[in-house]
Amino acid sequence: MSALRDVAAPEARPGPAAAAEALVEVRDLKKHFPVRRGLFGGVAGHVHAVDGVSFRIAPGQTLGLVGESGCGKSTAGRTLLRLLEPTAGEIRFRGEDITRLDAAAMLPYRRRMQMVHQDPYASLNPRMPAGEIVAEPLVIHGVGGGRAERRERVAQLFERVGLRPEQMDAYPHEFSGGQRQRIGIARALALGPELIVCDEPVSALDVSIQAQILNLLMDLQDEYGLSYLFIAHDLAVVEHISQRVAVMYLGRIVELTDRASLFETPLHPYTEALLSAVPIPKATARRRRRVILAGDVPSPISRPAGCHFHTRCLYAHARCRSEAPALREVLPGHLAACHLHDAGVTLPLARPA
Amino acid sequence: MNQTASSDLPDGPGPGSPAPGVVLEIEGLRTEFRTPAGIVRAVDGLSCVVRRGETLCVVGESGCGKSVTALSILRLVPSPPGRIAGGRILFEGRDLLALGEAEMERVRGNAISMIFQEPMTSLNPLQPVGRQIAEAIALHQGLARRDAMAKAVGMLRRVAIPDAERSAAAYPHQLSGGMRQRVMIAMALSCNPKVLIADEPTTALDVTIQAQILELIREQQERLGMAVILITHDMGVVAENADRVVVMYAGRKVEEGGVEDLFERPAHPYTRGLLGSIPHLDDAARAGAGARRARLAEIKGSVPSLARLPPGCSFAPRCALAEARCREAAPPIVRHGPGHRVACWNAGHAAPGAAAA
Repeated sequence: MSALRDVAAPEARPGPAAAAEALVEVRDLKKHFPVRRGLFGGVAGHVHAVDGVSFRIAPGQTLGLVGESGCGKSTAGRTLLRLLEPTAGEIRFRGEDITRLDAAAMLPYRRRMQMVHQDPYASLNPRMPAGEIVAEPLVIHGVGGGRAERRERVAQLFERVGLRPEQMDAYPHEFSGGQRQRIGIARALALGPELIVCDEPVSALDVSIQAQILNLLMDLQDEYGLSYLFIAHDLAVVEHISQRVAVMYLGRIVELTDRASLFETPLHPYTEALLSAVPIPKATARRRRRVILAGDVPSPISRPAGCHFHTRCLYAHARCRSEAPALREVLPGHLAACHLHDAGVTLPLARPA
Repeated sequence: MNQTASSDLPDGPGPGSPAPGVVLEIEGLRTEFRTPAGIVRAVDGLSCVVRRGETLCVVGESGCGKSVTALSILRLVPSPPGRIAGGRILFEGRDLLALGEAEMERVRGNAISMIFQEPMTSLNPLQPVGRQIAEAIALHQGLARRDAMAKAVGMLRRVAIPDAERSAAAYPHQLSGGMRQRVMIAMALSCNPKVLIADEPTTALDVTIQAQILELIREQQERLGMAVILITHDMGVVAENADRVVVMYAGRKVEEGGVEDLFERPAHPYTRGLLGSIPHLDDAARAGAGARRARLAEIKGSVPSLARLPPGCSFAPRCALAEARCREAAPPIVRHGPGHRVACWNAGHAAPGAAAA
């Protein structure tokens, strides 16, 4: 019975049962960056990079976070890990509030939350052999026993991610892009984390290598029960790996649901346009109906009033220009922030008469 | 070793007299680079034709030679270390590789123009964009400055840049990535080219902006009847834009065909592997909410270094169908069906376990 209620519970207002079940949960998370101008660096405004985002990730599940450049998806991931200090909001890990923990109190949580970066070359120390890169988290956290034991553990990690243990003494430049990403994944796995934030982990890789890395991430998830926050701009990749998907636009989540619902019945006009803009690799794809958005994404420093998307929205009306819609449950388990559904769900999407 | 040009032309009569509708014909192009590891063949015996008004997509992964092919057509390969070592590039029957530099300059940006992946690096940061377009117009069409400027503003309007007069006075850094790419397209189209080469024109752009830019290129193509050579790594972009497709691997053409043949009846194991390895957006819906996510088909290993290509077929070390013959001799490119060519000893045989592609 409680399981049923959990499915229907909107992530914005989770019940106590849902909170206990989530591995991580963020509520109304905000990260604003000051914009400084002039000689004395006076604050001239704020970039609202993440502006009130709420979601939770269940153990062993993947939440995809998708959006275009500047939507705040990477900042959300970094703030969740407290690599950036949140401006406001709450981060809970297994129910514990970690939002304001100091560095020492945070340390045990750092072991349980790791990150895989986009560019495996820029994120690996070029002067360190691959084996030491992977061993470093063990050294920092003082785990993994003595030198020999650590080396044994690293060799196992190498094998698990599809590298040969003999390669432990090679330097990053001796590896291909896909292999470097495997090193990054091995390093993230070293401390046995429960959550890995993957920030565009395959977008720098060739198509044939992307599939290898996505398969590896999915295998590791099955094996270790990992949770992922999978951040990417490529909707097809996000849909493939995620159970649930959140779509971000200008610092806010505009839609959040399971992957099949998102594709079948997008409730937000931005999601609809995003899905329709993704080129589909099939010969029949060119004859489909497409929604092409006009204009560019507005600046996150001076965002449009009301719904941030109204300047590009095909269905915008008076209310959208003045009042920001809240993210709420429009269909069971399917959240959207759009005035089109104010008086009940409107499908297909259309401007109110 | 290299296939002869005539065997590779779909129905071309012979060199010298271009087949009807053919604007550009590449014959046995070889482009080499001198590297510390020795001479590297970035493009190795490529032949293909481009017809008036069509879109030819050249697709492949990094290092396959697709961009070097584009640069070779316009003779923009940096030399040294690069060098066009052989072949012919016939534009309306004239071999571009035999032209003097002054003549080539009249072709470049005029009859054949090019847009690049990152417009910021191909625009002059110190000059307003309108003036940069006007300069190209004045150079190629001999217009006075004022007329060239008026035409430049007209071009900006045509590529749907809002407030074209004011935008003409803007510097590149003041425009968004999508707007900069529109400026590049305006410049490329300002002399009514017969061939537009677009090298990953939307790779640096967001997906909603990519859709705008590809739509813009299609509109202008229809208006001008120009041929477009679209170079990309994105199979989705290929499916939605190409009339014909050339698939390249390690400097060679491994498959060529109409877009339907290529996506519905791919014959080369590499093409099949590529198509099998990309997640499809609509699969999520078909699988349903609770379904277990399927594994993607992988192509094992990674793209080989051009400096250390294996003997025989370059794809053999990664190919599930490879046999002794593949490791000994490179397969020639042969007819596989109408307008469909493939370079594989086992073309069309299903790969074990790759039925999903």
